[in-house]
Amino acid sequence: MFERFTDAARATVNGAQTEARQLRQHHIGTEHLLLALLRPGPDTGLAHNLLTATGLRHDQVAADVTRLADATEPLGAADAAALEAIGIDLEAVKAKLEENFGPGALTPPSPPARRGLFGRRRATPTSPGHIPFTPRAKVVLELSLREALRLKHRHIGTEHILLGLIREGRGLAARILTDHGIDLPDLRTRTEQAAAGTKTA
Amino acid sequence: MSDATKLAAAAGSTDPGTGLRAVLALRRLLETLEVLQVGNARRAGWSWQDIADALEVSRQAVHKKHAARWPEPDRREK
Repeated sequence: MFERFTDAARATVNGAQTEARQLRQHHIGTEHLLLALLRPGPDTGLAHNLLTATGLRHDQVAADVTRLADATEPLGAADAAALEAIGIDLEAVKAKLEENFGPGALTPPSPPARRGLFGRRRATPTSPGHIPFTPRAKVVLELSLREALRLKHRHIGTEHILLGLIREGRGLAARILTDHGIDLPDLRTRTEQAAAGTKTA
Repeated sequence: MSDATKLAAAAGSTDPGTGLRAVLALRRLLETLEVLQVGNARRAGWSWQDIADALEVSRQAVHKKHAARWPEPDRREK
């Protein structure tokens, strides 16, 4: 499927990994695809122009992503609020534990290394720098292919990735777009119109 | 109003969403505390049986859950 991707679309998929790495996040989600589409550069695709025309900026969205990630991270802001609702002060718990165990005592642990048969350590399944795509981000990429087929386009450009993001509709990217007052059906229409103009390109 | 105060204000409500969110947060806190304290006990020389007794679970259960994180000291090193 990737051989049909335009250079700009490939750059977006690779760029999403860079975006995730810069935000120190351990997955590539729809939000990182959106950030990659928004990042200014010399060969940005159609989607970049459509998105910036709505007034959306890369730095704004990066701030949104950081904020939303903090709200969902284990023992982050949302957990603290939920515990406060039943009378537990997470900050006080943290302070007490750090007094005895040092800073970071309440940082949620990462899962232990998996062991194979007979207790052998498994070979690392992926290279250390590899960041996996979330299932939702994979769906978006599949949908970008389907959008291209539906519009009878032979290539998959950034506009099709954007259409995939809109079609998927429930990822963090769609939520951020909606939060910024962007009407998704309207954006889809404008993207399809712009895509029709470049059909032969 | 911040998210925190909103949630705190809803504490008295019977909204299942609020209540279940608190359960999730508690479970995350519990898991984190368990890992911290099991590690503390292992460093203090407690056996898996001692830890299991303290947690009122089977030795197998606590070993299965935590052994990969706190491997047995290699006897050859001693």
